[in-house]
Amino acid sequence: MSPQKSPTTKAASEAQLIARAQQGEESAFAALFETHKRRVYSLCLRMTGNTAEAEDLTQEAFLQLFRKISTFRGESAFSTWLHRLAVNVVLMHLRKKGLQQVSLDEVDTSQEEPVKRDYGDDDRRLLGSIDRITLLRAISNLPAGYRTVFVLHDIEGYEHNEIAEIMNCSVGNSKSQLHKARMKLREGLRGDRSRMGFSAPVAAGDPRKEEQ
Amino acid sequence: MKERIARSAGCDQFDAELAAYLEGESRPQVVAHARQCGYCAATLSDLEQIRMSARELPWEEPSPAVWANLRAALEAEDAFRVPGDRWAWLGHLGLLRHPAPVGALASLAILGTLFTLSPARLEPVRTSEAGLVAGLGENAPAVMSVDEAAWARTIHELEDTYRAREPFLEPELKVTYRQSLDSLNGSIRECLTSLQAEPTNTLARDYLLDAYSQKAELLTSAIEFSGR
Repeated sequence: MSPQKSPTTKAASEAQLIARAQQGEESAFAALFETHKRRVYSLCLRMTGNTAEAEDLTQEAFLQLFRKISTFRGESAFSTWLHRLAVNVVLMHLRKKGLQQVSLDEVDTSQEEPVKRDYGDDDRRLLGSIDRITLLRAISNLPAGYRTVFVLHDIEGYEHNEIAEIMNCSVGNSKSQLHKARMKLREGLRGDRSRMGFSAPVAAGDPRKEEQ
Repeated sequence: MKERIARSAGCDQFDAELAAYLEGESRPQVVAHARQCGYCAATLSDLEQIRMSARELPWEEPSPAVWANLRAALEAEDAFRVPGDRWAWLGHLGLLRHPAPVGALASLAILGTLFTLSPARLEPVRTSEAGLVAGLGENAPAVMSVDEAAWARTIHELEDTYRAREPFLEPELKVTYRQSLDSLNGSIRECLTSLQAEPTNTLARDYLLDAYSQKAELLTSAIEFSGR
């Protein structure tokens, strides 16, 4: 096994790769693709919920990247640049598909009432960790706007001000959409769990419960 | 036992402050209320669980076709002013330390074409075979489509060949292959378990086919290396 590269070594070797790619060296393109393909593909997959679309978008993002690579001057981290480019490629694709929910500025919901829960349901909670496939499916079932904010914030780690800039909406709207996305996701996951009988009851002693 | 829920004023305040609390703002009422209210405690616990699970989602691997298509597009645009070794990019795969042989790629291309163009011609395998492939033993679910069963059988055959040739691999390479195979077996098991619980789960089916495709690719390349 080769020793783990330090961040400094990694950055230096990436800078060399970028310089070589700017000279049009094929193996440098390949190495950059290899280094970043998983993150870009995962982003595309989670934002679209479709493997074929995700692969096409990954290809498109890297194609745009390599076309523009000669303009990269290193002011920002290469991965940040690539990631933002990939987000834009996916958003453009979703908008072309006519998914209006992707635009969050149409209806600013940041000042709306808090999300109400349906108290007709039982109060059981999700049990333990949520497996990857179930979670990914629930995410893919979210409306496009909710899904985008959830993926960017909770999975990719973007801050609300960054999401607001990307989505051209207010910070408050981004926060509000995220909360709704999480609540909707919970609803979907609880639906899955109930169908499979996986929910766990809460501890006894809840003062609001009465036996019938 | 059936339970009836009564909503309180504390629940309304909890709802109003929950989003801010999850954003990291100080909202002591949220925690205080959740301690007394099972319904709100379940909501809070679920949302925290969702957030944590989302953060821990692993990165996914795109199929090798993505680079092949990208490379072709770049080549068509004359982007490569310094052409490299045609297969040198494979040397950058964490899995492989050396360029993969053309034979392995040719085998994969044939496999891919076979499964893409004429899956119906391939006979399905018994689910017990699929279970062996995935490490599920006799507990394998009877949920495989013809495509999946065909992949499973092909992989089973590749595994037999690989097992016979594994002793000839360099020790370091053997460890690397074994770790990758274990990881892919884990993914396959996870998909089959999901499909067993819910046979209509199309995402699990997509992942299963991806995992089979990657495993076939891995085994083919391992077999090629062992013969060098």
